[in-house]
Amino acid sequence: MLTEPSSRIGSSRGPSQLYDEGDSFYYVFPSIRSTFMAILTLGLISSSDVEQLQLETVRYYDLSDSGGTARGWEHEERVLMCAPLRDAESHLPMFFSHLHNFTYPHHLVDLAFLVSDSKDNTLQLLSQMLTDLQNDPDPKQPFGEISVIEKDFGQKVNQDVESRHGFAAQASRRKLMAQARNWLLSAALRPTHSWVYWRDADVETAPFTILEDLMRHNKDVIVPNVWRPLPDWLGGEQPYDLNSWQESETALALADTLDEDAVIVEGYAEYATWRPHLAYLRDPYGDPDMEMEIDGVGGVSILAKAKVFRSGVHFPAFSFEKHAETEGFGKMAKRMQFSVVGLPHYTVWHLYEPSVDDIRHMEEMEQERRNRENEEKERVERMKKIKEEFNDQGSQWEKDKNAIDGISQKEDQIRKEHDAAMAAQEEKGPAAQAGKEPAEGAASKNSKASKESKDLKGLKDIKDAPDATEGKGTKNANTEGTANDGKAEEAKVVKIT
Amino acid sequence: MALPRSIRRTNPITLVLAAVLSFGFLVFLFAPSSNPGAVLNAKRKIANAAAHPLSPPTAPFVKPDASLNGLSKPPPVVHYHLNNVTTTADPVGNQETVLILTPLARFYQGYWNNLLALSYPHSLIALGFIIPKTKEGNAATVALQAAIATTQQGPEGKRFASVTILRQDFDPPISSQDESERHKKDNQKARRAAMSRARNSLLFTTLGPSTSWVLWLDADIIETPPTLIQDLAFHDKPVLVPNCFQRFTNEENKPDTRPYDYNSWQDSQVAADMARDMGPEEIIFEGYADIATYRTLMAMTADRSESRNQQAIIPLDGVGGTALLVKAEVHRDGAMFPPFPFYHLIETEGFAKMARRLGWGCFGLPNYFVYHYNE
Repeated sequence: MLTEPSSRIGSSRGPSQLYDEGDSFYYVFPSIRSTFMAILTLGLISSSDVEQLQLETVRYYDLSDSGGTARGWEHEERVLMCAPLRDAESHLPMFFSHLHNFTYPHHLVDLAFLVSDSKDNTLQLLSQMLTDLQNDPDPKQPFGEISVIEKDFGQKVNQDVESRHGFAAQASRRKLMAQARNWLLSAALRPTHSWVYWRDADVETAPFTILEDLMRHNKDVIVPNVWRPLPDWLGGEQPYDLNSWQESETALALADTLDEDAVIVEGYAEYATWRPHLAYLRDPYGDPDMEMEIDGVGGVSILAKAKVFRSGVHFPAFSFEKHAETEGFGKMAKRMQFSVVGLPHYTVWHLYEPSVDDIRHMEEMEQERRNRENEEKERVERMKKIKEEFNDQGSQWEKDKNAIDGISQKEDQIRKEHDAAMAAQEEKGPAAQAGKEPAEGAASKNSKASKESKDLKGLKDIKDAPDATEGKGTKNANTEGTANDGKAEEAKVVKIT
Repeated sequence: MALPRSIRRTNPITLVLAAVLSFGFLVFLFAPSSNPGAVLNAKRKIANAAAHPLSPPTAPFVKPDASLNGLSKPPPVVHYHLNNVTTTADPVGNQETVLILTPLARFYQGYWNNLLALSYPHSLIALGFIIPKTKEGNAATVALQAAIATTQQGPEGKRFASVTILRQDFDPPISSQDESERHKKDNQKARRAAMSRARNSLLFTTLGPSTSWVLWLDADIIETPPTLIQDLAFHDKPVLVPNCFQRFTNEENKPDTRPYDYNSWQDSQVAADMARDMGPEEIIFEGYADIATYRTLMAMTADRSESRNQQAIIPLDGVGGTALLVKAEVHRDGAMFPPFPFYHLIETEGFAKMARRLGWGCFGLPNYFVYHYNE
């Protein structure tokens, strides 16, 4: 009954393939066509009708064709993938490697980027990489519609990690981020889209099948858990996205006390909300399909049915129920009775960018390492010196020994002389002489032994000394190490709370 | 019957004749068209059009070549410079594109004729419609498509840049569009929530990256000044609503006008107090005797005299959607039609509140009229 013009895009298209087409194609064509038309119609149709034959101005869509199902790839459901970018040049190669690896049919995924207030080469690199992607000789690589939207919002907020996460800057930063997301979505969403996937450029590791994995749950809004790897000294890994949470009574009560324009930003000690966070519920061995109802969502990786956005749910750039941006998005989706779900055990990994604190701490660690090296060097030198001193003392001892030996020889000589004298006297009273001699020998022996033991003790003292210094050094280093560990823990706490 | 040898195809005369003919044919084919202006025009239009069917719905696109059997080149990388999209008091001079959006339940020829009569360059106008999937909606779609076909194949100056027809993916809460049924308060909330969803669906799938202004125009607005867009844009306001009236025949059998849309108002203390005492799901509706809000209704402040100042402008807290000009950036910032009670307001009135929350002012022209169809 209804005529549906042939412009129903996307529902019956096969995989995109390349064919050679010169630019001249479009320009030669009209001339031929008009001439043909002139022949065929004997000039009855004016040439202004010409473009009518090639330009389609009317589009017809049934939105119930883009409702979104659990197995969208089997129904040729189109996905709009949105990525807001700002000074993201360094992340683009990583982002495009993820794109290449996506298993969802590429020709069904439309890419939309918003490049705003970038001071680096983001735009040029992005265009280059996108052009290469669309010209990839592998027919499975090119994506669908590609929109690069350039819009500056006059962003005053800095994007570096420190200022990005400072509490005071959060509310206005989140409002600006929300604005950017809304501009991107409203310019790129088409009636053909069944799904919208939001993905940050700085995701480091994510399953290639993430679109299908999230889609299979058939929820209106769904997010994975977002963690980030950390250097070993910070614990190896850490929950990253704290914006996915379940509402708590405390937070609701808190919200009631706040000013109309106040924004609760999760992840800061300023507001203790006691909300269960998706991030903290992760079990590395848990069932990745396990679902958890949430109220606020984080924006690192969101899959939502397009009908959620069509209904008007967006990223509030104002305080909506005391929240903004993605958290406000979750709240608004809930307000419109959409299902909002998080997967606690299905994880994507955000890039680790050291914070200013981390960098400072790493510098401290580096300094400490250098100190320890210096200490080690000093110790070795001291040992050497001590060893030398020990050798000196050994020779001294030798001399002493010789001297003592000399003395005892002298004594022996004296004794012999004495003995000779005594022998001469012996004939007079041998018994008395016999009693005297062993006593004297014992005395001299005794003095020798005591001297020897004293020397040995001195040696041992000296030998002990370097050990002691070394021990102390390591002990010092150890205490410093623990102090640093303590600091690392503290840094984490600061970040987590 | 054998042909004489002289006219067989191997005959040199035949060959020469064939060569001359084919040469003439080729020259005829590839020679520049006798009407270079038309070709240039066509080229310009093609340059403005999207190269691929996957493109924003506010522009026409070059049809894929049927001979390629559905296979085509991957879509190109397209840059959109939203910094250059302006909304100024001189939209024609600055070539600003206008998207006219209409939730359609019934097709009125009067609406279409009024649309065609708009003096704003049609090549800068894109149209968007959303129609429920009901029996009535199907009939409206057929009528609309017929009207579109006529216009888009008619004189070039009257053709619109593009037209998008959407069919709603949810059922309207009540099937009847009867005036009495439609205005029952119990039905209002559900009806206006559905209307909000329809408006949002239409808006966010057709806005695209090049729209400067969005003109909301209800399907039952059958009479506006032809300069409607220019007149409203002239005030250069983020959100601007003219006064919506209705023509009728009064008791003395004389043509008369009466206010129709009561959704454009300035707030009152009474209404604010009322809102404070309400539950979160309750809505204050305007135009019902049992809810006396004491708001200042724009419909009631109109000056209908011939000597009226059509440019008189007042700030508003709530706006109606029968005719409503919005700068595209207001919608891009996220201002939509809440399908839920937003500060106890819904649909266009909730939209005004949301726009104001985002820092955009709403205004009305009490003495500038558009006319609603009279059932």
